[in-house]
Amino acid sequence: MNGQLLVLDGTRSALVAHETIDAKITIDAADLDVAFGWTLKPEGLCRGDICVPVRGQGLSSGDRIDLVAVADALGQPLVVDSERGVAAIGVAARSRAQKMATLDAPDFSLPRVSNAADDDTLVSLVDFDRRKVLLLAWSSW
Amino acid sequence: MWQQLHDELSPLGLTIIAVALDADEAAVREWATQQPFTMPIVIDRNFVVADAYGIVNVPATVWIDEQRRIVRPASTAMGDDRFRAFTDIDSAVHHDLLRRWVRDGVRDLDDEGVRDLQPAPTDEIQRARLHRQVAIALRDRGDIDGSRHHLDAAEALAPWDWTISRGNMPLRGEDPFGSRFFEFAANYVAAGRPGDFPLQTGKNRPSGSENS
Repeated sequence: MNGQLLVLDGTRSALVAHETIDAKITIDAADLDVAFGWTLKPEGLCRGDICVPVRGQGLSSGDRIDLVAVADALGQPLVVDSERGVAAIGVAARSRAQKMATLDAPDFSLPRVSNAADDDTLVSLVDFDRRKVLLLAWSSW
Repeated sequence: MWQQLHDELSPLGLTIIAVALDADEAAVREWATQQPFTMPIVIDRNFVVADAYGIVNVPATVWIDEQRRIVRPASTAMGDDRFRAFTDIDSAVHHDLLRRWVRDGVRDLDDEGVRDLQPAPTDEIQRARLHRQVAIALRDRGDIDGSRHHLDAAEALAPWDWTISRGNMPLRGEDPFGSRFFEFAANYVAAGRPGDFPLQTGKNRPSGSENS
């Protein structure tokens, strides 16, 4: 199985080439940053100043990276449908619970829906600095 | 009602942000433009906010103070009493608490109270949201069968998460107020409202088997 893989990460998405080798879904090492925002370095998987040691976990073979092994090493849940070419990576319950317990309100950036069809404004929590905010989750269904 | 509260409390320093947990932008736009709303309305197709704040049902609210701290966790909160027979929630209780917080800075929960009553994320729900995201991406491409496969997987993982199980109905082309919804709602009540938010302001009586 090979082709294009759409990788979804929250509101981020990226398209990378994937190939199944020995029943492992792999991407090119150079695409790891685009797909997950992490880079494989000698010290481990790194994002900015943060590195996760991954020695001996068999993440890579040559320049191919095993997607499932990367998600496991990062402790993040991953759903990957290689047949249909879509994957989504998320946050584990335990790390989500830890973040929630800090009581710091996570920021977000989401498209505004208004009368103007061409309104592509993004609304973020930080836009309402020094105000109280009530998030009202609702739906059309 | 939420727009009225926004009008009433906005001059006192509150902004209500309406976050649509919805994949269907056209449906959200239709709803959002039927009235001259001044509160910001955003669409969260991928459930980024649901994930970040542990939201498993709608309508739900979270209070965030000026220092961007959560001072009241996600919980069911109704705009009015239309569904009171089902929810057993007196909507005015939350509205009055909100007024007290905005006007007088009085919180009904301290930090420990907020932590105790925060919804607990589960690995199943976290994975269910990923399957839903994959389903939406496939649906956007017109791959309805592929989309259904992942909607099924999401529901199997999080059967009592309303944003998943009920939110999936329009994605399946089903009526969210159709027979399958009433079947779901009846089963949910019979099972003791599993996974419901621990914090239930305005409830007249404990429902008996909430997991908190």
